[in-house]
Amino acid sequence: MPLMHFRLASPASLIDINGVDELDYIERKNGMLSIGARTRQAQILTSEAAANAAPLLVEAISYIGHAQIRNRGTVAGSAAHADPAAEVPAALIALGADLECVSRAGTRAVAAADFFTGPFQTVLSDDELLTEIRVPAWPDGTGSAWMELTRIYHGFPVVGAGAVVHMSDGTIDRAGLGLCGMAATPIGADAAIDVLVGSAPSAELVEDATSAALADLEPPADVHGSTAYRTRAGRAYVRRTLTAAITNAGGTL
Amino acid sequence: MNTVAIALNVNGTSHHAEVDPRVSLVDFLRDELGLTGTHIGCEQGVCGSCTVLIDGTSVLSCLMLAVQAQGAEISTVESLSNGEAMHPLQEAFWEKQGLQCGFCTPGILMRAKEILDANPNPTADEIREGIAGNLCRCTGYQFIVESVLDAAERQTANA
Amino acid sequence: MTAPAVREHTKETNWVGKSIRRIEDPKFLRGKGGYIADRPLPGMLHVAMVKSPYAHARIVSIDTSDAEALPGVRAVITGARAAELCDPLPDFGPDPASHTWRVLAVDKVRYVGEGVVAVVAESRYIAEDGASLVSVDYEDLPTINDPEEASKEGSPLVHDPLGTNVAYERKFQFGDVDAAFAEADVVVEDRLHWRRSGSQPLEPVGATASFDSGTGQMTIWENSLTFTSYLFMLAGTLKVPSNKLDVIPVPAGGSFGSKLWAVKPAAIAGMCSRVVGVPVQYMEDRHDALTNNDHQGSDRIYYVELAAKNDGTLLGLRLRTIEDYGAYIQFGVGHHGNALAQVTGPYRIRAVEYELQAVLTNKNQQGAYRGFGSEVNNWMLERMVDLLARELSMDRRDIRRMNFIGPDQFPYFIPTGNVYDSGDYEPVLDTALELGRWDHWQAEKVKARDDGRYIGVGLVSCQERSVFSATEFWFWFDEPGAPVTSMPESVTLDIDALGNITATLYSCAFWGNSPETMTAQLVAEEFDVDPSSVNVVYAGSGQGLPATGPGGSRFTVMIAGAIEGASAKIKEKAFAIAAHLLEADAGDLEWVDNGIQVKGSPDARKTLGEVAIMAHLFKHSLPEEIESGLEASKVFDHPYTTMPSDDRSDLGVFYPFMGHACHVCVVEVDPDTGSVEFLDYAAVHDCGTMVNPRSLEGHMIGGTAQGIGTTLHEEFVYDDDGNFQSGTFFNYLIPTSMDVPEIKCGHHETASPYTPYGIKGGGEGGRMMAPGAIFSAIDDALEPFGIRMRVLPATPERIAAAIEEAGG
Repeated sequence: MPLMHFRLASPASLIDINGVDELDYIERKNGMLSIGARTRQAQILTSEAAANAAPLLVEAISYIGHAQIRNRGTVAGSAAHADPAAEVPAALIALGADLECVSRAGTRAVAAADFFTGPFQTVLSDDELLTEIRVPAWPDGTGSAWMELTRIYHGFPVVGAGAVVHMSDGTIDRAGLGLCGMAATPIGADAAIDVLVGSAPSAELVEDATSAALADLEPPADVHGSTAYRTRAGRAYVRRTLTAAITNAGGTL
Repeated sequence: MNTVAIALNVNGTSHHAEVDPRVSLVDFLRDELGLTGTHIGCEQGVCGSCTVLIDGTSVLSCLMLAVQAQGAEISTVESLSNGEAMHPLQEAFWEKQGLQCGFCTPGILMRAKEILDANPNPTADEIREGIAGNLCRCTGYQFIVESVLDAAERQTANA
Repeated sequence: MTAPAVREHTKETNWVGKSIRRIEDPKFLRGKGGYIADRPLPGMLHVAMVKSPYAHARIVSIDTSDAEALPGVRAVITGARAAELCDPLPDFGPDPASHTWRVLAVDKVRYVGEGVVAVVAESRYIAEDGASLVSVDYEDLPTINDPEEASKEGSPLVHDPLGTNVAYERKFQFGDVDAAFAEADVVVEDRLHWRRSGSQPLEPVGATASFDSGTGQMTIWENSLTFTSYLFMLAGTLKVPSNKLDVIPVPAGGSFGSKLWAVKPAAIAGMCSRVVGVPVQYMEDRHDALTNNDHQGSDRIYYVELAAKNDGTLLGLRLRTIEDYGAYIQFGVGHHGNALAQVTGPYRIRAVEYELQAVLTNKNQQGAYRGFGSEVNNWMLERMVDLLARELSMDRRDIRRMNFIGPDQFPYFIPTGNVYDSGDYEPVLDTALELGRWDHWQAEKVKARDDGRYIGVGLVSCQERSVFSATEFWFWFDEPGAPVTSMPESVTLDIDALGNITATLYSCAFWGNSPETMTAQLVAEEFDVDPSSVNVVYAGSGQGLPATGPGGSRFTVMIAGAIEGASAKIKEKAFAIAAHLLEADAGDLEWVDNGIQVKGSPDARKTLGEVAIMAHLFKHSLPEEIESGLEASKVFDHPYTTMPSDDRSDLGVFYPFMGHACHVCVVEVDPDTGSVEFLDYAAVHDCGTMVNPRSLEGHMIGGTAQGIGTTLHEEFVYDDDGNFQSGTFFNYLIPTSMDVPEIKCGHHETASPYTPYGIKGGGEGGRMMAPGAIFSAIDDALEPFGIRMRVLPATPERIAAAIEEAGG
């Protein structure tokens, strides 16, 4: 809507899915948390299923704007809007979610890591609709944390990070990381995951994983942060979320 | 110009209208229905001046199209007073000087009503966090928080 | 003129000093505020502006044909046509013929957002559709962005006729500066930069105009009405006779300066109404307000030296300041008058050298913003005092305390010639230190560092001037074209036949300050009525008496003087009538409790109501010389203005009623991100006698919140190519409830000897103190890194960069 108010977007036709009640659901099925496209961000915050299956998503969404925004904004809407600074896309990457894209030709599931192609750009073609987001359930004992840097309270993130960690026998056996505000799209950090998985937690491990996540990143600059600043702040936030996620998973550093 | 027929309830009154699909809800409320108590501060979804309640839930009416309000039950600031009598929130804001220019006030009153409807005895911190989506350029927020606390007391006393 | 007579404030007051509920509030609470956008007129059309996307460009050609053909569009007015319809806008700048300011750009555009074409249509939606169909051909010109570069020979020019980008420059010497510096043991120096931000009230400026071609009358409703005696200038712009322009004030949703003298929106609406023959409304939207509002705040570079003895005694101040005014300079360098009113702060500094250069660049121009340029001076001076304290290893409290003007030294004349009427600074400092828990936080600071956390405590002691004089407009020039000396405020009080009182105000209706409540309380004090019984109404300029409005925190003091004067006239007439009715001598009567009675014989009494009904209806029962009715007006002129000396080494008295405040602020800085969080905040203000303490406290807190925004979050960013980066509230960041801490407020009341009840102005103070206090706290927090912040706003990025540069 703001884009339309600014006349940066002047669609000839606007299709409103607010009336499609069938897309309003949060369900736990087949080891997935399935979220219909009309599910409001506010609904995720009060959903027991979401709290159990995807606490990272709940925590990330709690940072979005303010109550009035979350009361109308949808999870899928945030994903499809694909703001590189937004919480939902990065959290979905960290969680390893799939996004269901539907058109007359059929449906396809796209991994979050592949869904975002550029600033405000996704793989969705002109005749495709995002109908469902599926977040895989992580095993019991998974720890997660979302943290973000904003200029004013709940403003757009300058940088943000979401980390998910599961441990087994004192070793990290599964991890996920999603970053916003650090690249032209929300991104994951496979290199950091490689550092973490199979190792016992330690401050050095976190530092190595952080460096791996930041390597080769050149965050685009804008009025809220230069490349150098986003890199510095991003490093701090990756370190902090990894530390918190590990702690929440029962690890000690 | 193609128009869309909508039927909705605003402050207890049913309305039928033919609206230009691109007209925002706030412009419809103000210009078509004459309910100018809801204000426009940014049209960007940041300032919260346009906050109204739809089915009891606070939303930004500048970010909705009027056509999206089909079938909705909307409450605006004009619904708070009952003839001459003011709502406890309005009495509290008056008593505690929770406003200076008054421009953000209607949006804040509606958001405050939602907060108190869900939680009749919020703490000052909960109120302050709860109104974070409503900008005020005049008061620095402190007397607003005190006003909502006062309103909670009034409503508890009357209950 | 000399100083006014000293008043003794001995009378117990019934209403002055009471925190009554505000008279204004019910309509706003009910959603019936009646703001400008709430008042459509029948047949009214709407304006949308085509605005320049370029910082500096020649307008080659404009094609309006597609816009004009759009159904619903009724007029499309280019700058060239506007220049025929309207003369240039009123301009108090140094050389209006050369830096000419017009309703729309004519030959070239001078900033991103400057209006180029006005489109008038049946709705704002269609007007914007029309605007998007206008095609403008621009020829890009080099951008003039940096004021120091712009001031150099050979720079491209913002206004070719001016021949330079330096609109004004002058070096002032107040007191013997060389002697002061010669005596110094230590001189600290620094370069400081305060960057531009702005008021951005939630309601932008709006004007509805209706030109009646039958009568030639131009009526404009606007959420702005100030300087009514100067409105002939707007009439001139609109090419209507000065006595056929009526500007009617409408409640404003905040201003903080941005609605002071908002002539351009009024002129746009007026011009359009005349063209289409029906009422026209120009309502700024948020983008207009951010890009084209003409009220950006100060953008000032200082090169400053502070001279002192080794024991911390401050001797002299020497500064060179470059002010980036943007593309026009409507108020001249008045912002520096505001600075010079209190340039030495609360300290006994005896000499000041003030070298000023006003430079034009490709940005939206400055206007007024809470403090009007004095808040920048406060910040600069306190930065320097902190620097000196660091240099001398002195406690920041001690160095301030030892330099305070003493309570027995008032009225105190500062080197510029202005006077501080009264003050008592130590108790303000002591109260703030206690409220802000200075000692507690010093201990916490040490503990925090052991944990690798950075807590800091900041402190400022600053002045907040009130009630400016007209001389501030022109004492910049040895031979001013218009050495004006009037800057009054007026009121009419009417007692009707039942004794009910109506007060008519003549300047800006309502900005969020509390003019109705102030008026009602002051009238209540005079007449012993309940303030809620006083009806306060607003007159337009057409019917009106001369009035200035709420700038420079002057309204309450000035309306108090006007009410005092009008009340005295009414009482004089009432006494004459009562004497006649009671068959007594007027000299034997006294005013008691809403009535007049014979001294010593309280039964021989007439209430105000009894006098009033006689006055209105029973002419033949009145003394022969008394006319029917019971009302009086008072034009209250500035009570204490003196002329500048010919050589301008003494600017005279021009801002005499001097408030004072101390802010103590505690922050924690995140060393990785530069984010600043508030842990504690205390604000203690002395604005003389408070009329409504709760209302004043609301302004203290609100002003401090704006100060927080100014200091940490808000900036109008123009990149090197002049592109405007702050055109939405996503980029121009206004503090939310979670960004403003709880402000613990304290009050001190040192009455003014010169004003009714000893009132001083106090609406601006919070914003005038917070920046220095926060910077002081940030530096204190980051002392282990040896950092000193020099650029405002202290964004997280700037703080992080300073830490990184220091090795952190």
